[in-house]
Amino acid sequence: MIRIVALDKLDPGDVAFLTRTLYQAFGLGTEFAGERPMPREAETKDGRVDAVKLLAEVQPVRTFADDKVLYIASAPLALRPGPLGEPPCWSFAEYGGEKAVITTAKLPARGVSEASIEIFRRRLGREAIHAVGHLWDLHHCYDAKCAMHPSWSPALPADPEMDLDTFCREKSERKIRLAKT
Amino acid sequence: MRGPPARHPEEPKEQLPAVEGIISDASELEPGDRVVYPNQGVCEVVGVQELEIAGAKHRMVRVRREEDGSTVMVAVNKIPSVGLRRVASKDQIEGVFHYLAAQFDDPELDWKVRHRDNADRLMAGGVLGVAEVVKGLHSLSRIRPLPTKEREQYDNARHLLVHEVAVSLAVAPGLAEDYIDYALMPPAGVKFELKPPPKPVMLPSRPRRRPVAEAEGEEIGLDDLGLPDLGELGIEGEGKAEGEAEGNGEEKPAEGEEAGAEAGEEAAEAAPAPKARKPAPGKAKPAREAKKPHEAKVKGAKKPVRPAKREARKPAAKKPARPAKRGGKK
Repeated sequence: MIRIVALDKLDPGDVAFLTRTLYQAFGLGTEFAGERPMPREAETKDGRVDAVKLLAEVQPVRTFADDKVLYIASAPLALRPGPLGEPPCWSFAEYGGEKAVITTAKLPARGVSEASIEIFRRRLGREAIHAVGHLWDLHHCYDAKCAMHPSWSPALPADPEMDLDTFCREKSERKIRLAKT
Repeated sequence: MRGPPARHPEEPKEQLPAVEGIISDASELEPGDRVVYPNQGVCEVVGVQELEIAGAKHRMVRVRREEDGSTVMVAVNKIPSVGLRRVASKDQIEGVFHYLAAQFDDPELDWKVRHRDNADRLMAGGVLGVAEVVKGLHSLSRIRPLPTKEREQYDNARHLLVHEVAVSLAVAPGLAEDYIDYALMPPAGVKFELKPPPKPVMLPSRPRRRPVAEAEGEEIGLDDLGLPDLGELGIEGEGKAEGEAEGNGEEKPAEGEEAGAEAGEEAAEAAPAPKARKPAPGKAKPAREAKKPHEAKVKGAKKPVRPAKREARKPAAKKPARPAKRGGKK
């Protein structure tokens, strides 16, 4: 089961779209598990939120074995700088773990027109699949058409696909099959 | 930047410099140490224990894979050879990142060489060897999609690298993967100030398979066995029937001379002449076989056998067809 938790206000239409998308991508039941407050400890001085701290400090959701929790925040996320600097952060997941967070701050503006809302939702769906994919042990993929391709890659098209490629889909299916309790 | 050398040209494995951090003696290990087992990932040393296997007592080092908790037992005397090594230091990891971020435009295109070298790098190349596999296959994937086997190898190498970087930098694996891909696929407009990357991993040369032609040409001592000639035994080669059919056994030596010595040599090279049942030392059989079809037409020589065979088959084709049974099987 995948549980979606909103850390800020989220449109019900977007939630419904996300639920459907995640179910189609992983074949797992998906439901909206309510809202939780943003943990204050995770906020940084520049107004962003430390993604690693956020997952550590966020108020928990009741889960069962093999459940995955996806948090959705509107504030921009920050990561600890690495040897070559700080990578841009669209989402962060505990690899093979239980919790992941994505942000809507870097997505195209939602707007009010049907077209802009559709673009926003497709991009939100892609980020959600990417984050949940990490929870199911998927690594980044070199294929720009796959949802596991890094979101900051220059090879990523303007309107990227929401699907996993064959290798990633089969790997996730295998992991899910083995993990099902 | 060019890619890593395919293989060390001459030196055997023992003379190559050991990978940094390699553990050569079991006494260096303490319970709780974190080590990297090649192709398995980061493990924690549990301890040394004595096991009795088939009546013999063996001292084994027990290590536990951190990823899934599975246990690996390594015999104490095998530790130098399995490639157990310490987790990469921060300096090594920094070198790896500078290597990953460097331009790389020379992937090995021969898949057999590439796959074999990558397997060797994963086994014996240390953390830089793993990074070389990731980098090499990633650059290749920009040219064309990887085949399934290499896609799996790429994923395995990435998995090993992510976990070792995560342990070495004390960060979450998800974050380590972002660092790696930030170096591999930097966003548009980002340029790194890179240091010269570390020296590529040298791999030992593998023994080459001897070419078949050489082996055939050499004396292998079959004469010493005292075996009779196959022709004397009446054993025919596969080419015997063809040879007989084509020439009908009545080829004149003069025609062979007309065909020319060059053609005879070509024929001898292309297809070795089958042994005759009763070898006639005076006749030059290969010359007939060298005759080309177009030469035969010009000189009005004997027709090739295959058309004759077709003619012979023609009447059979003209046989009146059997009246079709009505109704057929029921």
